[in-house]
Amino acid sequence: MATTGDIRKDTGRTVFGWIKSRFPTVPYADLTRVVLETDQRQLPRSHAEKYELKTIWYWYPLYCLGGISFIAFIVLTITGILLGFFYIPDGRLELGASGDLTNPAWRSMLTIMNDIPFGFIIRGMHHWAAHIMIAAVFLHMCRVYFTGAYKKPRELNWLLGVLLILITIMFGYSGYLLPANALSEGAANIGINMTRASPAIGDKLATLLFGDISTLSGRYILRWYWIHVFILPLVGTALMVLHMGLVWLQGVAEPH
Amino acid sequence: MEGPRPGFPRQYGPDRLDHQPGIPLFPQEATRDLVTIFLLVAMMFFLSAFVTPFLGPARSPQLSELIVPDWYLLFSWGLLKVADIFPQFTIGAGTPLKTEFSAAFWGDLLSGIPVIFLLVLPFIDRGRESRPAKAPFRSAFGIAFLIAWIFTSSLYSIREVVAQRWTAPNGTALIPDGTMKWFFVIPPVLVGLTSYLALRRLAFAPMRRYLVPYVLILTAIVVAQAGAIAANPAALGPAQGFFPEILIALAIVVVPTVLTAFFLFRAPESTARKVSTWAGALGLLAFMGFYGAVAYLDRPTALGWVLSVLWPNMNTLVLMPIFAIGTAWLGTRRPYSTYEYLLNECYQCGKCHTVCPVTKVEDDALGGLNLVYNTFKKQHDGVPLWTCLACDACSAVCPLDIQYSDYILEERRKVNAAMAADGGRRE
Repeated sequence: MATTGDIRKDTGRTVFGWIKSRFPTVPYADLTRVVLETDQRQLPRSHAEKYELKTIWYWYPLYCLGGISFIAFIVLTITGILLGFFYIPDGRLELGASGDLTNPAWRSMLTIMNDIPFGFIIRGMHHWAAHIMIAAVFLHMCRVYFTGAYKKPRELNWLLGVLLILITIMFGYSGYLLPANALSEGAANIGINMTRASPAIGDKLATLLFGDISTLSGRYILRWYWIHVFILPLVGTALMVLHMGLVWLQGVAEPH
Repeated sequence: MEGPRPGFPRQYGPDRLDHQPGIPLFPQEATRDLVTIFLLVAMMFFLSAFVTPFLGPARSPQLSELIVPDWYLLFSWGLLKVADIFPQFTIGAGTPLKTEFSAAFWGDLLSGIPVIFLLVLPFIDRGRESRPAKAPFRSAFGIAFLIAWIFTSSLYSIREVVAQRWTAPNGTALIPDGTMKWFFVIPPVLVGLTSYLALRRLAFAPMRRYLVPYVLILTAIVVAQAGAIAANPAALGPAQGFFPEILIALAIVVVPTVLTAFFLFRAPESTARKVSTWAGALGLLAFMGFYGAVAYLDRPTALGWVLSVLWPNMNTLVLMPIFAIGTAWLGTRRPYSTYEYLLNECYQCGKCHTVCPVTKVEDDALGGLNLVYNTFKKQHDGVPLWTCLACDACSAVCPLDIQYSDYILEERRKVNAAMAADGGRRE
């Protein structure tokens, strides 16, 4: 099979040509240009910079709280993926060797803390990043409230933020159910009782969320595991992207 | 909407008309962000290395110890615990929509209050003002509700811990349940009112009309409560044997409050401010000294008995004096320059410079933003202070209604007064 040496003419005849005719490179080269232009992008100047204000507005450091919660969320994603390799979402009660009650989820936590190399550091990072994220989200909400940043035209973004703070709290709640320790048992009991108190649909809702209307079967661990690692991250990430996209479109609300 | 109105750029995204070159994303902004990210991750590593998260025993249906959720759910837990004060009844019994108003359901409803408030907030508060100090009602409500109320409801969730940890010598709780229930009402209301008065005062509103009744009412409540305790020693029960110490404690609480209220009511504001400063500071010192003296020098259980009278009335005898004196102090505040707040509102639009007649002829003033503003900011040698005609053209065009001539005239009066004090000669 003769080749002409011209890649355009050989397209379809060589391996490279086979690939190239199916995945043309030109659009990707364009994409590179877009990326380079993005790299050259300049952030809009803040009000203080634009008008060369001599007064440093003392609220400015509080404008990084949303970013801090997002960074904490990224750390949580990374450490969560690592923990997911070792955690067993099974809360069913078992009798241990010495007659004490254990369960596979709690024993997998012991393994992470004692046997897996750097396991306790990864769990510690996940734990502390969660606390930092919730604290940052709450302070972020306070900042938005006190600087009136929820006002027109940003009402929808504020509502998204309220949803996100609820999702963050649900992340935290589901997170401390998972170790299947005494705290998990107590918190699940409170959660089941509060859910069951809803009129008409209480028991059905509790069964949907906790797998049962009591903690005895231990099914709540698997339910909240799936909520914690799939449903909340899916919904939460989508809403976070939307939240930050709206900030990009509408600009940062600065008091002046 | 066709075209932007001047001064109101409503365009967002790439269509914004006021785009100006800013700081490049790379490397300046990226470096700044990386510093924050590294610092944060370093903090997390430090915490996870030195404060290992607790795991505890495996879950078991037999629970004996007190369960405390993570701190961000404490408010909901506290509301669930306080829900038993509400009436419990059932509506629609026998129908599929039977609703049982149990303590748990009241807890659900109470936890929903902050969420509903947050959801409707942007549709209630529709003004344009965004600065916290210029929106005193919103800011005070936020401090009272989002911070103080959430804090006190979180505090109530650990009522068992509080009751076990701080007890009188006869074993009763120093901070009883009733006192902790009132924490849901009294501290947030005090915080809100004080914040409102302090913020209005920060904007130089004369707050005497609000301040005097507020402080007098708080003082009256404190005096009445202390008087009721002092007048009836028989009601003190086993604490009766420590009546002299209790009287001293009540005096330490009452005297600074009454002094502050009296001077606020009768004396000029500057005097009231000085009295509130000294009364507050000395009252605090006296309380700490008394606490130490009773704890270490007196009979061993004396402190417990004194606190068993003081702490159950914490809402009135402890919080109200603090808020009365603190509010008097904040509400009579006078910053070093009366015009500090007003002139700092300037966002340097430059309209005043355009209309100023002096800048057309005075070489010295060319290039500056505003004669008065530059003088205020000490960016000028002071000559404009004397070349200003006080024609008030700048105030007339100022979008923020800053009264520049008032400032200039007051500064001139100060200089003249200083000259008169020096015998009429400059320098």
